[in-house]
Amino acid sequence: MLWDLFQWWGRSPVGTAINNSEWLFPVVESIHICGLALLIGTIAIVDLRLLGLGLRQPVSQLARELHYWTRTGIITMLLTGPILLSSEPRYYFNPSFRFKMTCLLLAIVSHFTIHRSVTRSDRITPLSRLSACLSLTLWIGVVLGGRGIPYFF
Amino acid sequence: MSVLSFCEWLNETSSSIFLRESTWAYPIIGTIHILAIALFGGMVAMSDLRLLGLAMRREPVSEVVSRFRSWESVGFVIIVVSGVLLFWSEPVLCYKSLSFWIKMFLMLLVGVNALIFRATVYRNIARLDDSPITPGGTRLAAGISLTLWISLVLTGRGIAFF
Repeated sequence: MLWDLFQWWGRSPVGTAINNSEWLFPVVESIHICGLALLIGTIAIVDLRLLGLGLRQPVSQLARELHYWTRTGIITMLLTGPILLSSEPRYYFNPSFRFKMTCLLLAIVSHFTIHRSVTRSDRITPLSRLSACLSLTLWIGVVLGGRGIPYFF
Repeated sequence: MSVLSFCEWLNETSSSIFLRESTWAYPIIGTIHILAIALFGGMVAMSDLRLLGLAMRREPVSEVVSRFRSWESVGFVIIVVSGVLLFWSEPVLCYKSLSFWIKMFLMLLVGVNALIFRATVYRNIARLDDSPITPGGTRLAAGISLTLWISLVLTGRGIAFF
């Protein structure tokens, strides 16, 4: 059923447009990369803070201020990702793509649960450090998964 | 020796062939390149946005700029080294790509911008906190920096296309 959805999306005006244009895919992909720098970069700043590296300001203050930019990154990814996907519904079968989506789901869930509660307080506990490591690992997993897609077709 | 003949010569060296044909070398280098962009690019963006007064306004400019600087330098080195290796794996393809040459020109501008940063922003970091609005010259340098980095991503991606 999900495969039907992927195929439908590939045949949609978005999928048609991106497959008929020479430049649309690389441009959208570049925006995707800039968005990922914003998303993962801002999360990394908070995670490094939780690990005692980088900035020294209170955790909650940093998290609160950076979250606007993280959200901008998320929105960028949620818009550009599906557009890129529409060019090739067969990503559905790609193991690297599945790995990426798994990491993404876990990363988003942990970001809005454990990570959020840990960054609400200024106290740094073993749980905060664990959350930071988990966050960094999962987001790096997303990048690795994305990068590997062309090699698993 | 012309640039083209250098690229053609490099293309046929065993190291270049290895990078091109190895199953794992090119993917790993490409991944390092993009991971560094993901991790350090955000810091560069935040630092520039802070100088522009658009992000992290609660933190003193001097704090943001000075604390990110060493991370950004490490990130930049990683990006450049992996970038050089990427070029090394496909010198002729890069030579033939207009996007590659535009990107190299932009790298030159990045170098110039870095010198400007050195002479202004980094020369007296503490002074940046003197006023709530950073001086116009600093904001221009930060704006150019941000634009250059985004253009580098675009032209980098474009190498495979034109």
